[in-house]
Amino acid sequence: MERLRPAVLALLLAALITLPLVDSVFQVPIQVSDSLEAIVIGARYPSSWSLLADSAQFSSTTFRPMRYEQARWLLQGAEATGLTFNTVFRAVHAALMVMLVLLFLLAIRVRRWIDVAAFAVAFPVLIGIHTFAAMLQEAFPVNHFAEVGVCALAVFVLAQQPPKWFFPPLVCVLLAFALSVIESGAMVWVVAICCAAAGMRGMTRSSVVAATVVLGVYLLVRNVLDISSPGIGGHGSGFGGTFYSPEELIRRFGAHPLGFIAYNVAGGLASLLFSEPRQGVYSLAIAWKTGGPHPVVIINLLSSIATTALIVWYGVTHLRVGRAAWSDTDRMFVVACAVMVVNAALSAAYIKDEIISVGGLFYAVAAFIAVRALLETIPQRRVVASALIALFLMTDAGLWAFRAAGVHYVLRYDAFKTRNDWIEVLRPDKRDDWPTDPQELAITRRIRDEVILRSVASPSFMPRWADRYWVE
Amino acid sequence: MTDGIQDSRFAIRDSGLGTRAGVVAFLAALPCIALAALSAWWCAGGLVGRGLWPPDQVTLAEAIATRNNAEALRLITSGADPNQPSRVRDGLLANGYDVVVTPVEAAVGAQRADSLRMLLAHGAVIDERELRTLRCYERVRRDSGVREILDMRGTGEPSTTLGPGPDCSGVRLPSDRAD
Repeated sequence: MERLRPAVLALLLAALITLPLVDSVFQVPIQVSDSLEAIVIGARYPSSWSLLADSAQFSSTTFRPMRYEQARWLLQGAEATGLTFNTVFRAVHAALMVMLVLLFLLAIRVRRWIDVAAFAVAFPVLIGIHTFAAMLQEAFPVNHFAEVGVCALAVFVLAQQPPKWFFPPLVCVLLAFALSVIESGAMVWVVAICCAAAGMRGMTRSSVVAATVVLGVYLLVRNVLDISSPGIGGHGSGFGGTFYSPEELIRRFGAHPLGFIAYNVAGGLASLLFSEPRQGVYSLAIAWKTGGPHPVVIINLLSSIATTALIVWYGVTHLRVGRAAWSDTDRMFVVACAVMVVNAALSAAYIKDEIISVGGLFYAVAAFIAVRALLETIPQRRVVASALIALFLMTDAGLWAFRAAGVHYVLRYDAFKTRNDWIEVLRPDKRDDWPTDPQELAITRRIRDEVILRSVASPSFMPRWADRYWVE
Repeated sequence: MTDGIQDSRFAIRDSGLGTRAGVVAFLAALPCIALAALSAWWCAGGLVGRGLWPPDQVTLAEAIATRNNAEALRLITSGADPNQPSRVRDGLLANGYDVVVTPVEAAVGAQRADSLRMLLAHGAVIDERELRTLRCYERVRRDSGVREILDMRGTGEPSTTLGPGPDCSGVRLPSDRAD
């Protein structure tokens, strides 16, 4: 029982902070863009098999069969339970967030009181980092990046356990599922490989081989179906202080893309470590021109620099001994850092907060390890040094807690905007634009009515200062 | 110094790191504890309908003035009259006092062509007298989208082909109608 207390306290803190977040996530309605189309397509097919077969042909650059299957199953779930579509889709999104929190708790393994303190610093990092909010804001209609995050953290948790016979098939299932929702699902394979390379005991050779076979089959299927990867111009992205449309990117960088790719990879990593740039755009560059950055930029930058400095300190002081002498914690730390670097490389074509969201989860893991290690050095330090460390950690944790609280504002704002997007759907003065298929029209009308019926807070009645402190 | 705190909620005796580490650890954890306490307060408030930023009770004109077309549509669907004037609280359309305006006037005041279009599609009516008031109001709160809709209602022609603006002498603007 005595052993349980730190873990219980950490769980209590996590639950208290997560519960209102669940409410905030739940208040964001089903989105029009990226969501309605998938829902309508999912409903249109007579069977899951026919949908699965056809989904391979939906796009020449993406292979995401589970995107449509999930939408179909959730629609059926809503029909079977009598719940609203909005309730079912948003409940799944909220459940994904809860799973991320629980898996984070399992990954860092809070056992001692000092772990609780490190958790108390790292948990706001997990929630407050901009990549986490990205997993809560958008849905397609279920957030694929949150699903990939759950799968990646699950593999990381498995890798910490003594190997069991079912680990290889379980890793394969997680990887296959993640790959079937979005290309970033490859991060699950990356996590498995990093865990094995770092020598984590639960990730055996058989797990690695099996996962690699799954990835190979996936790539083969894409090749057979003639599905290419989106290159530069597949999505808008920033450069310096400007955000460019896909067409502008092709015009500027299409002929000589290497420099832009290097910029994106470096920018992806910088975004994880310093919260800058966002979507490839450096707010500081904009502030240089316009005079004075918004407080949100300063808060994000300071909190990230402080935490990244801690992570660098841990790496420098603990990893010099060589791989063979690494502790289990050191191995976890190496995996976390490696995942961040590889995740940044995935943003070669364009930078989006969502793409580096798995890296954001592992950034919080690395922060936990570094904070705990710093706290463990206190008995060897002088009083003044201890006081300075306390001040440093309290300030850093305070900034991250502030960022974490801001997620509520961001989600409320998103809920307001998303709900109002539905006004443009089925406009009475534009009946020519309405769907001609009766089933599609019925589903669209039902979701629209559900969304309009649920009132959400208006930013006009929220604090005016919040925009400057929480929205970049 | 290294014995640790004997009891308590934040004892670290099992970690063997000492009192000083315990104090530092507690201070580091304070912001998270504060966030958790705040979150608990929001949760408790949510149970009685007053959680963090609950949806506001607004009039139809206020919904339009705050660019909340979805809420406006919900109110219309549940029976609100799109032609009925209602109160708009201080700070939304006028500073220092509440005003009483029709939803259409609120749309012009908030410079929202999309809101105006939505109201007209859901039963709002603009007569000749009201049109003159709205066009005068638009001259104060300029918005090309709103102007285009009003001009089309008046003459059937976009403003680019029209001559000088409306005669606004004697017109009392909606923002002057303090409650």
